[in-house]
Amino acid sequence: MVATRQTFNNLGRVMDDVHELFGQWAEEGAFSPLFDEDKVLLMRLAVHEWLANLVQHADFGEQTPEIILDVQPNGKRVRCVIEDNSRGFDLDLHIERRRQALDAFPDRGMGLLMLQAATEYLDYRRGENGHHRLEFSVAADQDPWLTIPF
Amino acid sequence: MQVTSISFAVEPWTQQTVVVRVGKALDFRNAADFKAACQEQVRAGVRNFVLDFSETGILDSTGLGSIFSLYRQVSPIEGQVVFAAVSRPVQVVVQLTRTYKVFRQFPSLESAREALR
Repeated sequence: MVATRQTFNNLGRVMDDVHELFGQWAEEGAFSPLFDEDKVLLMRLAVHEWLANLVQHADFGEQTPEIILDVQPNGKRVRCVIEDNSRGFDLDLHIERRRQALDAFPDRGMGLLMLQAATEYLDYRRGENGHHRLEFSVAADQDPWLTIPF
Repeated sequence: MQVTSISFAVEPWTQQTVVVRVGKALDFRNAADFKAACQEQVRAGVRNFVLDFSETGILDSTGLGSIFSLYRQVSPIEGQVVFAAVSRPVQVVVQLTRTYKVFRQFPSLESAREALR
């Protein structure tokens, strides 16, 4: 698979559209054999959690939402960039708050923690074009986990 | 008899045990429906839930949270929540969150039925 870039403007459809894309990639065997099915699913989960956060909480103001998904496979590692034109938020602060507030068997508040746990590298910042930009990678040799209080 | 909620089919096995067919997805878009369907069962006296994940392509953090919520409801009344026929996408979430420590898993509905007799 070569790097791919897709743009989405409909928040009501973006989840279905992205899952459909992953379905197509799975059918095509788009990723390197070094990056197995479970790692593709882990990456898909990370993308899902971020998009779910955007769909539920992002403030796009008066603008038409624009979400750009960039997937760049590189052997045992896949880099993923998700840009959006929302007003953004302090991701590190939210993650820390979520971690501190996590109850036993939590109902809510696990999404960003799951995203962080699933990824090898995670960075979120405002780009020069004014878009907010989440960048992460998932690696074939990761054995990630999220500690949830039981 | 099959009782169908907005998006989840619930099949009674005994008075206290049901199978919930999770279907294609349990995520932030339908987790409230799942909770409502399960709460209705708990109110009717059900305390054991077998979650059938055989067709499930998506389980996200909110979906998992709704399962935790069910667990919190039934565990004080000695109820159980178990997973059956867990698909690969669901297994990835189970491994990431180590929830296999909480929810027993069975390879099929039949084996879950045997164990819960």
